[in-house]
Amino acid sequence: MTSIHLKSAWDHIRRSPFQAIAAVFVLATTFFVATMLAILVYSSSQAIKYFETRPQVIAFIKDNVTSEKISLLQNKLISDMRVKDVRYVSKDEALEIYKNATSDKPLLSELVSPDIFPASLEFSLNDLSFAESVIEEIKKEDIVDEVGFTANLGGESTLSDVVGRLRKITWYLRVGGGIYVTIQLGVSFLVLMIIIGMRMSTRKEEIQILDLIGATSSFIRSPIILEAIIYAISGVFIGWLIALILVLYTTPTVISYFAEIPVLPKDTSYLFYLLGLILLAELFLGILLALIGSMIALLRSRKNK
Amino acid sequence: MLELKGITKSFGKIKALEDINFNVEKGEFVFITGPSGAGKTTIIRLILRELLPDQGEIILAGRDITKLPSKQIPYLRQKIGTIFQDFKVLPEKTVRENIEMALAVCGVNQEEWKDRVIDVLKMVGLKKRHSLFPSQLSGGELQRLSMARALAINPKIVLADEPTGNLDWDTADLIMDLFQKINSEGRTVIMATHHELIIKKYAQRIIELKEGRVVKDTASKKEIQPKKDIESQDINKSE
Repeated sequence: MTSIHLKSAWDHIRRSPFQAIAAVFVLATTFFVATMLAILVYSSSQAIKYFETRPQVIAFIKDNVTSEKISLLQNKLISDMRVKDVRYVSKDEALEIYKNATSDKPLLSELVSPDIFPASLEFSLNDLSFAESVIEEIKKEDIVDEVGFTANLGGESTLSDVVGRLRKITWYLRVGGGIYVTIQLGVSFLVLMIIIGMRMSTRKEEIQILDLIGATSSFIRSPIILEAIIYAISGVFIGWLIALILVLYTTPTVISYFAEIPVLPKDTSYLFYLLGLILLAELFLGILLALIGSMIALLRSRKNK
Repeated sequence: MLELKGITKSFGKIKALEDINFNVEKGEFVFITGPSGAGKTTIIRLILRELLPDQGEIILAGRDITKLPSKQIPYLRQKIGTIFQDFKVLPEKTVRENIEMALAVCGVNQEEWKDRVIDVLKMVGLKKRHSLFPSQLSGGELQRLSMARALAINPKIVLADEPTGNLDWDTADLIMDLFQKINSEGRTVIMATHHELIIKKYAQRIIELKEGRVVKDTASKKEIQPKKDIESQDINKSE
């Protein structure tokens, strides 16, 4: 039975190709933007996660402190639920880090010895809101000389600034992008409704005949709803495919630009998994849009009968 | 099989039908005749539940269809084979697809479609035209397609509203032969027509309408005089 409805839907599409193209084009544009926005939101979330999980607090240890006392503080921090990724950095390791950081200027590393670098305990916070209380507590420890919150980034921004900014950008992206996609979805919805409404008008005679020979309303509705679903699936797939091509084309450049910040998955299968999830969500949304749009158009046409 | 009891129907101030009463038995061939505007089509539309009467009952297969909920109307229509004066075939579907659509509407199993389509097309003589569109058919062929569609669903009752109205005599005669054949298979046929030659040649039972009233029903073997005639006779008598 479905085949006769599918055939009817396909016949209607074939007989008015420009209406079909308009519907698919609008839907494809909407879902292209939606796919790109979903990827941008994913990337910014990944960037936030990356910065949030970097060592955020460095407790510099006074000179001549015994390793037992350092271990004691390290264990205390490990057992603290607010804190994660606790790591001890010895004076020698601190010198190594310095040397790596100044590898392009060997003269600078030659002038220093491990003695001038304090040993430290580096750790991250599960949430940046714990920063103040944790820092205050650790400052009171006898063996702690100084507490640094933040590693300097670019010499001007603290880590919290970066995270704060990223969060703001992500928020704007989500809200702005969300509003834009909602408007686009609204336009697609209206276009679908108009096209289905036009289809109903052109099929008026056919609908009357079907009604007279005993077609139920679900029988009359089926090809119209199927037609809307065909538009939605085609629009979603085309929009998603264009976004996929764009993402695949730019991924190597993006990954090399952001280096260790994992804004896009480096593993191709995971990238496809992510895009597959986006496609599924969009198909669901597209079909929902088609169903609601066609049902409203049908109800309106029945009211106007 | 079908009974109309005290049916009255008005369109605004115009009374289309007034106190219509008749029975149609299973396997009967009934002609509803009368001049244009007599109410023939209104009766067909009432039986199809396109319209609701202002008063009265229409009992079809033991059920008053005037009380049928709207959702049940399609199932009523699926049991009736209807043939229209203006054919009402789907213009964008081929002959075969038109019949298949009727079968799909009635929920006939798709495996049965092929045989049923061939059977009805053979019966109406359109087998060679199965792939043509309605615009490629003549008036007589269109009416035969309309008949094939109505018969494909294997109805117990066939309603025909002026089926020969748009056809020349020879074609109309051919169509009437088909109706006789349908009736001889045991199907009840109710045909609205004002085609006098056809009535003379084929009529078995005639229900004649005039100004919305039954003035003659050959089944009851008596002529019912129109109200006006009765009134004028009364006046003459009193004179």
